[in-house]
Amino acid sequence: MLRLGLRLTVSGGRDALVRLAIIAAAVAIGVGLLVTAISGINATNAQNGRYAWLETGFASDSYAPPVAVAGDDQPSDPLWWSLRRDTFDGEDIGRVDVAATGPRSPVPPGFDAVPGPGQLYASPAMAELLRTTPADQLGDRYGATLVGTIGPAGLATPGILLVVVGHRVDELADGPYATLVDNISTASPSECGGDCGAGFGINAEGISLILGVVGAALLFPVLICIGSATRLSAARREQRFAAMRLVGATPRQVAVLSAVESAAAATVGTVAGFGVFWLLRPAVATIPFTGARFYTSDLSLGLLQAALVAVGVPVAATVAARLALRRVQISPLGVTRRATPPRPQAWRVLPLLAGVAELSWFAVVGRPDTSQGQMAAYLPGILLIMAGLVIAGPWLTMAGARLMARRTGRPAVLIAGRRLSDNPQAGFRAISGLILALFVGSGAVATITTVVGSARTPGPDGAMVVQRSFHPEPLALGVLDPVAAIPGVVGVTVIYTAPKTSAVTNQGPPPGLVSCAELARTPSLGRCPPGAEVVAIEPQIGHSVIAGASSQADAVWPVADLPVEALAALPVDMVLVDNDGSTAVIEQVRTALQMALPQRFGPETVDEANLHGTRELGQYQQLANVVIASSLAIAGCSLAVSVAAGLSERKRPFSLLRLTGVPLAMLRRIVVLETVVPLLVTAVVAAGSGFLAAQLFVRAQMDRTLQLPGPSYYLVVLAGLVVSLAVISSTFPLLDRITGPEATRND
Amino acid sequence: MAAGEILAVMGPSGSGKSTLLHCLAGILVPDSGQVLFAGGRIDTLPEAQRSALRRDRFGFVFQFGQLVPELTAEENVALPLLLGGMRRDQALSRARAWFARLGLDGLERRRSGELSGGQAQRVALARGLVAEPDVVFADEPTGSLDSLAGEQVMELLSNAAREQGTTVVLVTHDPRVAAYADREIVVRDGKVTVLTVAGAS
Repeated sequence: MLRLGLRLTVSGGRDALVRLAIIAAAVAIGVGLLVTAISGINATNAQNGRYAWLETGFASDSYAPPVAVAGDDQPSDPLWWSLRRDTFDGEDIGRVDVAATGPRSPVPPGFDAVPGPGQLYASPAMAELLRTTPADQLGDRYGATLVGTIGPAGLATPGILLVVVGHRVDELADGPYATLVDNISTASPSECGGDCGAGFGINAEGISLILGVVGAALLFPVLICIGSATRLSAARREQRFAAMRLVGATPRQVAVLSAVESAAAATVGTVAGFGVFWLLRPAVATIPFTGARFYTSDLSLGLLQAALVAVGVPVAATVAARLALRRVQISPLGVTRRATPPRPQAWRVLPLLAGVAELSWFAVVGRPDTSQGQMAAYLPGILLIMAGLVIAGPWLTMAGARLMARRTGRPAVLIAGRRLSDNPQAGFRAISGLILALFVGSGAVATITTVVGSARTPGPDGAMVVQRSFHPEPLALGVLDPVAAIPGVVGVTVIYTAPKTSAVTNQGPPPGLVSCAELARTPSLGRCPPGAEVVAIEPQIGHSVIAGASSQADAVWPVADLPVEALAALPVDMVLVDNDGSTAVIEQVRTALQMALPQRFGPETVDEANLHGTRELGQYQQLANVVIASSLAIAGCSLAVSVAAGLSERKRPFSLLRLTGVPLAMLRRIVVLETVVPLLVTAVVAAGSGFLAAQLFVRAQMDRTLQLPGPSYYLVVLAGLVVSLAVISSTFPLLDRITGPEATRND
Repeated sequence: MAAGEILAVMGPSGSGKSTLLHCLAGILVPDSGQVLFAGGRIDTLPEAQRSALRRDRFGFVFQFGQLVPELTAEENVALPLLLGGMRRDQALSRARAWFARLGLDGLERRRSGELSGGQAQRVALARGLVAEPDVVFADEPTGSLDSLAGEQVMELLSNAAREQGTTVVLVTHDPRVAAYADREIVVRDGKVTVLTVAGAS
């Protein structure tokens, strides 16, 4: 029976081969996407795992006195360790200072031994940067000589900027942030939510969830496409199966024959899908969805994962194909029962309305206080809207199509409207994958645009370099002189931490104090009242305070009751260095500030501080655009397949209509109306729902008004629609061929 | 052929009856010979003009499967009028008039799948005649019907054609159907071999 099934599969004529090719292609795309998503999750974990050693000295790995363990002759020699984070021209640099206390000190991955005093090891990208950048802009920060590069085991990403500087024990023990450790961390940054240590690595769980959603968002349209392809030329296949029943085949044997066909196509598709993944791998590795590129080898599959895909997908495709034919029962005399799906009812819009109402409620009353509460508030609403769109889709399609057909006098509109309203499930099925992808994509893009857009308010002093002091203490005399002496520096302003007794307002103690002479050099931070020497100030730079430096230019700060001479004895909160904005000067300032005031987190420009964290969001936006464009194209393929299936079903009435003088253009109009109208209406409804959900979310969560996405989003949607339309119009020659007078017999 | 005349084209399967009908209706262009309609050649007209001719001056009735499944019976009948640009309410009103005439009362809103073979064929007949064409081309119009239903359809076709003065070209291999014609020809191996006039034999 299996052999017969295989023979029928390959000898079923041109239509059968086309159907099998479409199923195989859809499976190949689906497997390619699925495997890419799984390998993306693996890659994220692999990359994150390589960040683990940069967590050394934090959390559970902090130093504990060495204890002799049975079987171990001696405890290891502890290692002095200091981890800091720095910036060069907008790129993060990881910096580790180490000093071994003995020959058994732990060695970080990528090293043969702990670097000795005065030795500097750098990642390949960092070594290149050190070689090509003047020392006063970068190299001077480290005070050591480059002696080698860090091995691959220590490099989380291909382009990572990383330095490890060796010191003497006595030198580092007194250094900033130095701690004693007795082992190198192997804990993934995910374990502390991606926010431990100096913030290297990420919380991979979030990325895995996003990749899971992306994979699902793309897989759904592919499954729909497989289902549609199975129904292609179903009538002819049913005739063949009926003939077999007539000569004695049992229903079970017929079911096996039909399953063999689908499984053969799915197996070919699965093999091709792995090939697609193999070809795409180098390109996918360059997509920085964790914020950094991947090594191609990171995108790999476990043996079990590969086996599950290789077996699971053909099985799933076979089941999908079987389900697509479940309404048909083949008897020896042909198809005896073709169940007509019941008409969709109006209750189907209720879940959609409930989802919108749920999000609206939080938009009105505001967000819950805890992040868990916020998740519990928004997630059900968004899921309800997604489910609601799919549930309401057939009813909306039917309602729209009925409206279209009821009053029209145009034959094309009448026929297309009637066909859609007769079986709205079929009309909607082809585009239901698209509606979810477009809803998620549009909502995500709009939300990201709003978050990023509200953060991007670069002021006129965006290049001003800011060094926050994370452990405020008074500055040594003249320590900032080298900074002020750099040509191109306009002024150095120090903001001191106000003592609690110097309250000038009744709204609590002011956070900072500044001398009016220095404030006059940075007018974007506001100004002093006439005659004042010292004012209380609250500079708003970076973090969640988005206002930006420029909005403070008009501020007149309250006078502080303190002589200017007293400031020098106060702990420093922040140093601001205004400059000419050139990269060379900014990096010279950064280097000088690092040496004068070493901190866990190095100096940033105002723009860098304000944009912190929005770069990753921008990459998610790219990902959302990819999802939208791909799902539009796949939806176009599904539509083309269902157009072809619909044409085959109506080959006779259409070709006879054409014989009676109906122009081909009108038949084309019918096809276009049956497909393009639902496609466009769905695109508008899905994008609109996505924007509405995003608006309700940003209103509730951030109390902001949604910013619509930029031109790139519309271009992506437009390009996807154009591709879909091109795919649909590719069925026109088929329409021409099967309805041509030469191909028709009247009897 | 004269206006209102009924011609039967007979012959065995594969003899070329349908090809002859396609040539006469301007669907196919003959390799040789001429097709004249209302004093002009139609075999030399471009496809667009022949399509317009088929739409505006000719009607067609085939053996089966000619109704658009999505449309109701009355919409199927009104289709040629809608294609000719008539307003929907006018077209439907003219289409409904044919239902009483063909004994199809009450079936106006049925879909093609809800009609019996004889009913569907009568609806197709109404569609072929509704635009009052000059010529109706009928290819085995009773081929899928039992003899009683076949007779009903032929009665209706011949009566309606004579009332409207419509010429009918009827392809059939059934002598009982051919008996409704004024003249009949027999096609064998692509050639017209016999021409008889009703009552002459």
